[in-house]
Amino acid sequence: MRFVRFEARKCRRRAKISDRRRREVHVNLEKVVFGFFVLLAATLNFGFFIGDIDDPALHNPYELFAAVVVNLIATVLKFGDRTQIGAVHLATSLVADLQLIGAALLFGYATYVSSVGMNESWTASVVSLSGGALLANIVSVVLLVVETVSFHRG
Amino acid sequence: MGNPLLAFWKTIFSTDDDRRIRRATFRVAAHSAAQASATIFLILRRMRVPLIVLIVIFSVSVLGLTVIPGQDLDGDPVRMGFFDAFYIMSYTATTIGFGEIPYPFTYNQRMWVTISIYLSVIGWAYAIGSLLALLQDRAFRSALALQHFSRKVSRLREPFLLIAGYGRTGELLGHSFDALGKRFVVLDRDHERIDGLELDSYHADVPGLTADARDPGHLAVAGLGHTCCEAVLALTDDEEANLAIVMAAALLRPELPVIARVTSRTIAERMQAFGNPSTVDPFDRFGDHLRLALRAPASYQLLTWLESGPGAALPERGSPPRDGRWIVCGYGRLGRELTIDLRAEGLDVTVIESGSPDVDDADLLVGDGSDPWVLAQADLDRAVGLVAGTDNDTTNLSLVAAARRSNPELFLAARQNRAASAPLFAAMDVDALLVPTEVIAHEVYAQLSTPLLWRFLREMPAMGDDWAAQIVDRLKGLCGARLQALWKVRLTPRDAPTTATWLASGEASLGQLLRNPENREEPLHAIVLLVMRDRDVTLAPDDDFLLRPGDELLVAGWGAARRALDTILLVPGILEYLVTGYRVPSSWLWRKLRPAHQPLRRPPDAVLDRPA
Repeated sequence: MRFVRFEARKCRRRAKISDRRRREVHVNLEKVVFGFFVLLAATLNFGFFIGDIDDPALHNPYELFAAVVVNLIATVLKFGDRTQIGAVHLATSLVADLQLIGAALLFGYATYVSSVGMNESWTASVVSLSGGALLANIVSVVLLVVETVSFHRG
Repeated sequence: MGNPLLAFWKTIFSTDDDRRIRRATFRVAAHSAAQASATIFLILRRMRVPLIVLIVIFSVSVLGLTVIPGQDLDGDPVRMGFFDAFYIMSYTATTIGFGEIPYPFTYNQRMWVTISIYLSVIGWAYAIGSLLALLQDRAFRSALALQHFSRKVSRLREPFLLIAGYGRTGELLGHSFDALGKRFVVLDRDHERIDGLELDSYHADVPGLTADARDPGHLAVAGLGHTCCEAVLALTDDEEANLAIVMAAALLRPELPVIARVTSRTIAERMQAFGNPSTVDPFDRFGDHLRLALRAPASYQLLTWLESGPGAALPERGSPPRDGRWIVCGYGRLGRELTIDLRAEGLDVTVIESGSPDVDDADLLVGDGSDPWVLAQADLDRAVGLVAGTDNDTTNLSLVAAARRSNPELFLAARQNRAASAPLFAAMDVDALLVPTEVIAHEVYAQLSTPLLWRFLREMPAMGDDWAAQIVDRLKGLCGARLQALWKVRLTPRDAPTTATWLASGEASLGQLLRNPENREEPLHAIVLLVMRDRDVTLAPDDDFLLRPGDELLVAGWGAARRALDTILLVPGILEYLVTGYRVPSSWLWRKLRPAHQPLRRPPDAVLDRPA
């Protein structure tokens, strides 16, 4: 019972704070940068992923490179957030990094080490890994949207 | 609570009150730990910019290398792949520099690499520099220290003491408890004291934290909520802080014993409102000791010897004058206590004080005691004792010197305030020296080392001076001029399994037990100072004293005697030899070969009749 009341009080307090924030600060630059990178990571990833899964001509390596770099930056931006949603953000980003770096390593192996080069099966592996990363990135975007919406409701 | 099953069990079967307290301590500890993790999150946040700068510089350089066209050995244009570009940038940025691969660079490529070398070196320098700066950061280091400390404390699996305030007193106590093999945890506000812990060469590892003990969160991290915590010692030099520690301990763990250092009566009263902490007032204790020394010098000698712990030299037996006039210089907390105590003994007291204190019906001289003219006014020639009790060591030393010059017969008592002045007071050779830190350390040691010693010291003065002198002589004959081990023996089935039948016979006398296990004609080099039976105590029982099951003994003697007594109490057959003179064979074969021996209850002469 006591706990519920305490929670209610906390909610009210949070509502008050967010009210004040809405009135005083209109744009938080940190939030803009954060949203930009999270979204860019997802879109780049999507751009690389889209197209026939086994056709190397449809998957540009530069796009993969850009996706890896932007994902890494998004991960670093999520460092040091103590909230629950911040922790989930970091986790999704780490998953996306893992998959994208895996895809990049496969790509490098196929191009430099493998005797057959970037054939259909290698391309399919690389693209499917990036597809996994895309899923994690979509979760990130959903989280971002949820956070934004709940903030505006107060 | 490492074991989840145990935690579950506790949650279900502990009382509601118990649970509330546990939860409360857990909450304050969690709060303190959260503060530490907050600092680490802050550090991670500050690393964001350097890391992003590094990633951007790297990716721009790599991208540039892959886009700029190169030439192979035949002069045909070729583009570098991502892997090659990443490889080249990795060794270039870390200043390793393997050269131009896979083909020598074109001028176009070299220009780009030149730019990226400067960029990447700046990026690395910035990232590593910020990382090193963060590692040096005070907040970060103290957060790390807090985590390290709380991990160490929560891993303690044996009883420990929580010492808040590690000054001179804490250090003395720490060494005494370390010699007893007891663990302790230390909190102090001064980081130099905590750093000093490492240099103090303790046998056991002593977890120490630089933190304000007034914060209950820090106390909780230091093990206030730990199941193995045995007692809390509030020994800081700040009265308010000690009160805060007593409060926190009483509210969060009401069942824990608390010992607090205190010098003012008001604070002592306020502490009594929280549970029943035992307070140690060095000035009050010194007054009591001086009274005891006036009334019973031998009792005082025994008290100080036993309180000083193992290895202490036998203090000299002073003979303070029992009648005459005393002069007390300095009417602070010590002066007040001493004046009251000396008056209670029926002695005249003259007080010298430079301020204008509210001395009621006392002989008061206003003036600085170290001023020769004032001292001459006090009529030293006809006084018997002088107490130099100001809070300034220089004044006290000069008072003692001046008093001795004008009257060499005076009994001189002095107060030493700083540890650094110890050699000077030792060279001065005063008759009674008050070192507040040592008084507290001895008192706390007596209370905590074994409860029996504390009981003995409290009951002992009532036995009279002659009795005490006798005990001192016996101890001196046994141990020599240095005190040997003091230990507790419990005659319970668990601690002394061999004694059950013997004790039940009702004829078990102390003299039978304290014999050398090798040769029963020789006595064991140990004295029983006290026997406790159901809260009743007998001091220094003689050899005919009859023991019963469950008795607790306080024994003084050599370490070898302690081992011998342990053997008697634990190894079957040895007690039998001591009581009857019959050596029980220890191996199965010899037991079969030799005739069955008589049970213990038979009188010894019946055994001796039998052919062995």
